[in-house]
Amino acid sequence: MTTYTVTHRTEYVYESAVAPSYSQLHLLPRDLPGQRCRSAEVVVDPEPEDYRERSDFFGNRVAYVAIHEPHVRLTVTSTSVVDVDGRDQGVTLLAQRPWEEARDALADPHAAERLDAAQFVLDSPLVAATEAYADYALHCFTPGRELLAGVIALCSQIHADFAYVPGSTSVSTPLTEVFETREGVCQDFAHVGIACLRSIGLPARYVSGYIATDPPPGKPKLIGADFSHAWLSLLVPGAGWLDVDPTNDQLVSHRHVVTAFGRDYSDVPPLTGVIFTEGKTKSLKVTVDVAATPISA
Amino acid sequence: MNDPATTTPAPTVAAGYRPLDGCYDEMVDAAGVPREHWSYLAESIAELGLDELLRRRVEAARLLDQDGVVYNTYRESARADERWLLDPLPAVLGSREWERIETGVIERAELLNLVLEDLYGPRDLLRRGLLPPELVFGHAGFLRSCDGIRLPGNQQLFSYAADVGRDKDGRYVVLSDRTQAPSGAGYALENRTVISRVLPSLYREAQVHRLAPFFRSLRVALQTVAPPGVDDPRIVVLTPGPLNETAFEHAVLASELGYPLVEGSDLIARRGGVWMRALGQLEPVHVILRRVDAWFCDPLELKPDSRLGVPGLVEAARSGNVSIVNTLGSSVLENPALLAFLPRLGKHLLGTEPRLGSVPTWWCGDDGSRRHVLANLEQLILRPTSRAPGSAATFGWECSAAELDALRRRIEHRPQEWVGQEPIAMASTPTLTSGGLEARRTVLRAFAVARTDSYVVMPGGLTRVAPDAGSDRISNQAGAISKDTWVLASEPERLTGFWLQSGPAVEGIDPMAAIPSRAAENLWWLGRYAERAEAITRLLRAVDDRRNEFQGSTNAAGVASLRALLVALTQVTATYPGFVGHGADKRLAGPGAELLSLVVDEARPGALAHAVRALLDCAYAVRDQLSNDTWLVVGSLDRVILRLHSSDEEPQAVVQGALQRVMQSLLALGGLGDESMVRDLGWRFMDAGRRIERAVQLLSLLRATVTQTRGTATDSLVLESVLTAAESIITYRRRYRSQAQLETLLDLLLLDEGNPRSVIYQLQRLIDDFDALPNGDHRLRDEQRLLLEASTALRLVDTTALVAQDAAGDCAELDAFLAHLLDLLLRAADAVDRVHFVQLLPQRQLVGPAQPAASANGTAARR
Repeated sequence: MTTYTVTHRTEYVYESAVAPSYSQLHLLPRDLPGQRCRSAEVVVDPEPEDYRERSDFFGNRVAYVAIHEPHVRLTVTSTSVVDVDGRDQGVTLLAQRPWEEARDALADPHAAERLDAAQFVLDSPLVAATEAYADYALHCFTPGRELLAGVIALCSQIHADFAYVPGSTSVSTPLTEVFETREGVCQDFAHVGIACLRSIGLPARYVSGYIATDPPPGKPKLIGADFSHAWLSLLVPGAGWLDVDPTNDQLVSHRHVVTAFGRDYSDVPPLTGVIFTEGKTKSLKVTVDVAATPISA
Repeated sequence: MNDPATTTPAPTVAAGYRPLDGCYDEMVDAAGVPREHWSYLAESIAELGLDELLRRRVEAARLLDQDGVVYNTYRESARADERWLLDPLPAVLGSREWERIETGVIERAELLNLVLEDLYGPRDLLRRGLLPPELVFGHAGFLRSCDGIRLPGNQQLFSYAADVGRDKDGRYVVLSDRTQAPSGAGYALENRTVISRVLPSLYREAQVHRLAPFFRSLRVALQTVAPPGVDDPRIVVLTPGPLNETAFEHAVLASELGYPLVEGSDLIARRGGVWMRALGQLEPVHVILRRVDAWFCDPLELKPDSRLGVPGLVEAARSGNVSIVNTLGSSVLENPALLAFLPRLGKHLLGTEPRLGSVPTWWCGDDGSRRHVLANLEQLILRPTSRAPGSAATFGWECSAAELDALRRRIEHRPQEWVGQEPIAMASTPTLTSGGLEARRTVLRAFAVARTDSYVVMPGGLTRVAPDAGSDRISNQAGAISKDTWVLASEPERLTGFWLQSGPAVEGIDPMAAIPSRAAENLWWLGRYAERAEAITRLLRAVDDRRNEFQGSTNAAGVASLRALLVALTQVTATYPGFVGHGADKRLAGPGAELLSLVVDEARPGALAHAVRALLDCAYAVRDQLSNDTWLVVGSLDRVILRLHSSDEEPQAVVQGALQRVMQSLLALGGLGDESMVRDLGWRFMDAGRRIERAVQLLSLLRATVTQTRGTATDSLVLESVLTAAESIITYRRRYRSQAQLETLLDLLLLDEGNPRSVIYQLQRLIDDFDALPNGDHRLRDEQRLLLEASTALRLVDTTALVAQDAAGDCAELDAFLAHLLDLLLRAADAVDRVHFVQLLPQRQLVGPAQPAASANGTAARR
């Protein structure tokens, strides 16, 4: 088990005064099999008039923030301490069955995971299944191939075919465009993976979180060098969810910290909001630090 | 009267009336004999005869016009030309038939309520496989962020409407369930109001169930649904605004129920609750009767770019501090796929299938049903499960082979998003046409609202019939005609729940009770634009008079006075270049085109039509604040302006005709403001708007005309026109008899407190209006201070000194003084905007792509 301290700081600077400002945060890590959040706290500046935490539809932790004092700078800092176990071997074991069989097992109206299976195989606001994604997925999901092998192959294929180009896409770039240009960031690759799986009838969800990075050999780790990250998760009948990371072409390991999951990014953006102001946003700065704590409890 | 023994067929009507083939007819049976519950009406209309019925139809249309009843099909501005169509013949339901509908609607409402409660709660129906999860999870109306929101009490479905048709065997069938924000009850009430006046004796004698008790039930239900612990809940009606297609109804509901009509920008979420922005303070809101689709209600948690919502509203509802009805997410029940599962759900939840069945429906998410639908495409109606723009139903039998193929592919691609429905041979009902009674397909919208553990149904509803005999499409967009719906009482109705109550007096609402700031703002601008329109009209008329006298004349003074007035017209209305700037000489020589433009050009600020259009927009935006009679005036003004463009008359005749008609309407509007409006907060703002505008217009006119001299003959003509435009000529002549003099003119127009057209009179009224507003700390507000200053300056002025001329013949001191007053008044007007109205900043999304910022309240800047 590894214990991480995650610090995620977002700073907005506006051209002119903002008031009021309403926002919704998916910044507090949830508990999951293999992950326990020891503590998590959000600090907002200026001091909000309203701050409330709750669970959303998917069981993620959400904070509601309303600021009524006029301000030109908003900072939101979340600090959380999370224990992460290694991957659950049981899930990978149960994923070693032909993918068609897994697909059919989930479509069975009496399946235990019926609700999740239905919810995460349907189109979602940012991800709509098409023939093109199915064709792309079927290169990896050849007839009779094991589910696990198929999804690993899909990750590798995405990793190989798509270029990681920061800034090449925005939240509003349609997925079809990402699929055409073959470039994007982790969020886009997660969406591509989800679209591929759903297009061949496999339920998949979007996972928002962090990944701890190593400093170059011999150099100290820089604070804030990390990023918020995203990957996807595949439903394995009888076992639960199997997380895979197409950006890094790997199964999700003890280096990944989950914040929240949903059908796609739109269910779990780290920070969204509505503000009232004459001007534009002058700058937006995000820093993330994921530090492994040497002690283990 | 329903005794069959005394019933005789009404040959004149029955003979002329031919029911449609292959369907049930509401009025006559297969033999063409009027049905029992129709016999009285059939007889009576036969007695009235066609001509008289047609006359009553005209009368009904006139009454609807008078009440300004419109059904807008979204456009940039509300207009009176979208008429609400009403057939004078009511739809009649006997008490036995009504009982079937009533019990059926209640049962369906109860069933849908349990389904709704489950879908946003435990979701047992999905877990147990009674409802396929795809059907719910794939529906646009299922709002995940609204999961777990609960209204107090047992009823999560607050109000419900069912579109009920009748098949060829006369069985009632529900075509669709309305659960988002059912509309039509207000139109049903309006239809009743009109028909009871158009067919008074018939209505009286037929013993028709009254509608008023339903609206009282609605009011009680709204109070009951308030958050626990709130004894005197504050309730508002939330509307998308005056451009919404059913905006008329929102205003009717608000005034019928006695609650403020608000738009999203009138509300703000704070400290876990919702508040109304009411003139410088926040008033708590406990219950919101929602007429905005849920998806638009909160840009934070629902549609991010919605400008119709309130950020934080979902969180407030979640906290239980405000009850929103219908609850956010209720439109998940409008999924037509649900119709296929209601029998099963009924058995599970109520122990019985709903007796009021649905149109046969197949959900394509189910393999067997999909096969049935695909095999029978050309016999079915295909409908997407989610309502969205462009998601209209497709009629299989109207499609070409290629269209059917395309449809098949769409269904196969996302089967869970489609249903197939069997067409129903809908019942027909007699409808009045100029050629006699004609059979038209008909559908009834029945309304229900929660009442302690069950529902109460409006005895009646909104009946709509197809726009022509061949059509089987009945929707308002398709031009459907509506009917009043008469449910005949089996025994004389006991009048209960009178509006007039005995017992201790209920505490009334303070006339100075809060209204939304936006309403006050619109009333203020309504006053200002009305007065501006009046001032322009009077000035244009004065100009027109001089033009008739002196255009092309050899009378030098006359020509000079006309010229001076034309220049003044441009200056007062700020419509440069006009008769002042570039090209002015040409226009002065032939002013016709420019004058026409100043009357008819809606897009030109300063023109009469522009002011009238702005006035109308303000009126439509505060419909609930204005008396019924106002619509008589507003409607006719609207039509005058609409007709300006289609006129093929000679321009000067257009101008004269328009000026006269607009003037009549404006005078009527002024009279209504004085005689028919309670002196509440809203009236104060409207009156203040009128007064400040009148003073500003008069001061501008004086500056543009009398501050320079042009020779005695010309000046006396100019002064006479100024007095005419200021509606003070008669008084002046009576009082001063002799030749006009500037000094006495100023006495009358500036200083005479008894002259309702004088500047000092306006200032006194303004001071009274703003003194009447609630004031926390007794200190003068900015606008009060400025008005006091203007009033004092005016009282202290010496008119004799003002009229002194310099060598060039200019009255520089007068000009400076008028300019000073004008400046104080315009600053006072700005102060009113700043102090009393909400200055909302543009709404933007915090994260995501750069969005063009739209004005927060959607209204264009005003000057």
